[in-house]
Amino acid sequence: MSSDSYLRMQGITKQYPENKVLANKRVDFTVEENEIHAVVGENGAGKTTLMKILYGLEQPDSGRILLRGREVRIHSPLDANRLGIGMVHQHFRLIPEFTIAENVVLGIEPRRRGIFFDREGAVRRVEEVIRRYGFAIAATLPVSRLTVGQMQLVEIIKILYREADLLILDEPTSVLTEQQIHKLFVTLEHLRGIGKTIVIITHKLGEVKAVSQRVTVMRKGEVVAVRNTAEVDERELSRLMVGKSVTFQFEREPLHRGRVVLELQDVVLRHKRQDHPLLDHLDLKVHAGEIVGVAGVSGNGLAELEDVVGGLRRVSEGRMLHDGMDITDLSAVQLRARGLAYVPADRLYRGSSLHASVLENMIISSHHDFLRGGIFQQQAVARFVDSLTGKFSIDGDPRVPIGTLSGGNIQKVILARELASQTDFIVFSEPTWGLDVASAEFIYKKILDIRRQGIAVLLISSNLDEILALCDTLVVLYRGRLVASLGNESDLSKELVGEYMMGLREDFPGRGGQTRGVSP
Amino acid sequence: MKRTRWGGELLAGIVGLLITLGISFAVAVVLIVLLSRQPLTTIYYFFVGPFTNKYYFGNMLNTAIPLVFTGLGIAVAFKSSVFNLGGEGQVYAGGLVATVILLALPETGGYPGGVLALAAALGTGACLAGMSGLLKMKWDTDELISSFLISSAVIFFVNYFITGPLDDPASSMLATNAIGSQYHFLGIFPPSKLDISAVLAALAAGLVFFLMYYTHWGYEMRMCGLNREFSRYGGINVSTYVVLPMILSGALHGLAGGVAIMGTYHVAVKEFSFGMGWNGIAVALIARNNPLGVLPAAVFFAYLDAGAKAAMLHSDVTFEIAAVVQSVIFYLITAQALYGYMRYRKGSP
Repeated sequence: MSSDSYLRMQGITKQYPENKVLANKRVDFTVEENEIHAVVGENGAGKTTLMKILYGLEQPDSGRILLRGREVRIHSPLDANRLGIGMVHQHFRLIPEFTIAENVVLGIEPRRRGIFFDREGAVRRVEEVIRRYGFAIAATLPVSRLTVGQMQLVEIIKILYREADLLILDEPTSVLTEQQIHKLFVTLEHLRGIGKTIVIITHKLGEVKAVSQRVTVMRKGEVVAVRNTAEVDERELSRLMVGKSVTFQFEREPLHRGRVVLELQDVVLRHKRQDHPLLDHLDLKVHAGEIVGVAGVSGNGLAELEDVVGGLRRVSEGRMLHDGMDITDLSAVQLRARGLAYVPADRLYRGSSLHASVLENMIISSHHDFLRGGIFQQQAVARFVDSLTGKFSIDGDPRVPIGTLSGGNIQKVILARELASQTDFIVFSEPTWGLDVASAEFIYKKILDIRRQGIAVLLISSNLDEILALCDTLVVLYRGRLVASLGNESDLSKELVGEYMMGLREDFPGRGGQTRGVSP
Repeated sequence: MKRTRWGGELLAGIVGLLITLGISFAVAVVLIVLLSRQPLTTIYYFFVGPFTNKYYFGNMLNTAIPLVFTGLGIAVAFKSSVFNLGGEGQVYAGGLVATVILLALPETGGYPGGVLALAAALGTGACLAGMSGLLKMKWDTDELISSFLISSAVIFFVNYFITGPLDDPASSMLATNAIGSQYHFLGIFPPSKLDISAVLAALAAGLVFFLMYYTHWGYEMRMCGLNREFSRYGGINVSTYVVLPMILSGALHGLAGGVAIMGTYHVAVKEFSFGMGWNGIAVALIARNNPLGVLPAAVFFAYLDAGAKAAMLHSDVTFEIAAVVQSVIFYLITAQALYGYMRYRKGSP
């Protein structure tokens, strides 16, 4: 790269102290003036961390940042704003009750006589920005009346108002409909045309091709490729993103597929603030003794599927059956009574209660079994906890808060608890995310044990290696839709699944393909 | 190793509290030296006064009794992460209802009558706080605000009854008629006002502790208090545990009112329970919401109160100065407790 690049980040390394995850490993990242530069990668590839460092939300452990050839230190978003760097976050930071103008000027409000908020001045200035950049929206509209696409525009206006030259957009399309995405791209192209530089983070390869000039691919905290978009095709990008298969050595006994244990029929999940359904006419069957893996990039419905199956979120349409019985409207309490076992992705806040003791965490779903007249039978509790700590080799006093354990041990406690319930069905979501190799392997062995016992397993994971190593059947979610259902044969390649995940292929076109707008 | 770390935190907490106590007493001494012309006498009565005779000592413990109940009420709510700021009204209304029942009962009501009055006081508090719980469950109304507002309104109603329809014209005070002496709690430490309800308070603390740590409901309440998302995931009916802790909290407050009437006041005087509700919050904070810790915390609070009273009686300290010294100590202790509590809530990853 030429030395007079607009932005250069050199040797950026960042390790999060909380979980010791190395999010960025000596990353070099360069952006030229007046280009739209896409950053792609799977979940946890380090894209967002890199952008947070650029925007001053995180401090790197080492490395430096050069803007127009001059070294800069960015300690906070305020520093970034001063340097002309603005960021649109994935989740909008707008106050619905305020008008567009009020939201835009928030934090740097124009004032009258030093103390009074100059409302007219705010409207005037924001309208001027809107006019200058050729947008069409009234600054006096309350944000609560806007569509998601318009809210995003407000976020962009917000950073333009702060006179940013470098705009960072973190997964800007994840909540938009196709038309809104198209509009956004027109806007971005227009901004580039008038001299702005844009960095866009995305998992969607079609969008990379549609909008960017150059693309940086990240994987596991490292930059693996930088290409001119015109010279690279989506398949190659997909291969670069997912990388080579890591073969786990696990013996999977031949599949003995039993009865259907869990079935989803035409399940739709809508969200009132989002125009695109989160789950789009989903059909899924899990048989006894079978591991069904659900793959997909985050933001495509994996988390929502987890919530629905875990009984924490009601579906908008469709049915869920357990052993042929309709469980669509059952609450988590009732599902637990039917033996639901569920290892959630969010193990720190959903899967455990950090200030409660290991013991208290272990009995959350089974504590009814240890009661006599509403009073705990201390010995029965102790026996239960002892048997779990023994079986899962969890060391230490079970009376300490679970938050004092390591991530791997917390996950072991959760696993021990969930496997203790008498069940024929269990949901795992991201079971090894952020864990060390030994803990991950322990968990894989347990999952295969469960399968051997003839229990139906639903494994939701954005880690393809994990899914390929464990599953009998593999389904892929893309934009809330099921785009593939594949038997996990030895010839099933990671590249192929990757293409489904990135939306480059789909096997069930037309099935709920049309996106339905929700009337405001 | 991990265990010692946890034990260490507890020890650090206790050491921290002792240091704060030392500092606050030192500050109090400095204030007294500055404000009093006979500082030695004042200091003596402020800190030692409550222990100089049976009368002071007994009355100090007696002051602690309603604070134990209100402190427990707050601890139960806070442990469950619901907020009951309506303590003042709940205590006051509980006291009035108990008085009304005891006045209405025939002369020979005796035991059952007393129990009935206490039950009614308890029920009154439970209903008042329970309303806020229900509002929260049904419409997600902030229980902190609603309990405060309901309580503020209730105080005026109680005032109306005490000064209006129920006022005893023969009495010089704004108060109802006195309840029959057969309903007075038995004094156990004459000549002080300390009565048998001290035992009730200690029992209540033990019972609440048992409830919170050894029963199904306590476990579910605490789990909901620590992490609602986790509790919902684990199959606990979390909406129940917005209402139940409020009801319990209100019940304990109502009981405080009933006990104060039957033990100490024997008539519902206007604003007799003034401060009991708010001070319960302070007591719970000092006790870090531990039901057993509420006992010493309430006694400590009462000790500060008794010391101030003794100093006023025996030296040149005015009410205002005593109140300033008392509140300085109190603010420091509360701040320390609050700080520890917040650090605990934030804690670990």
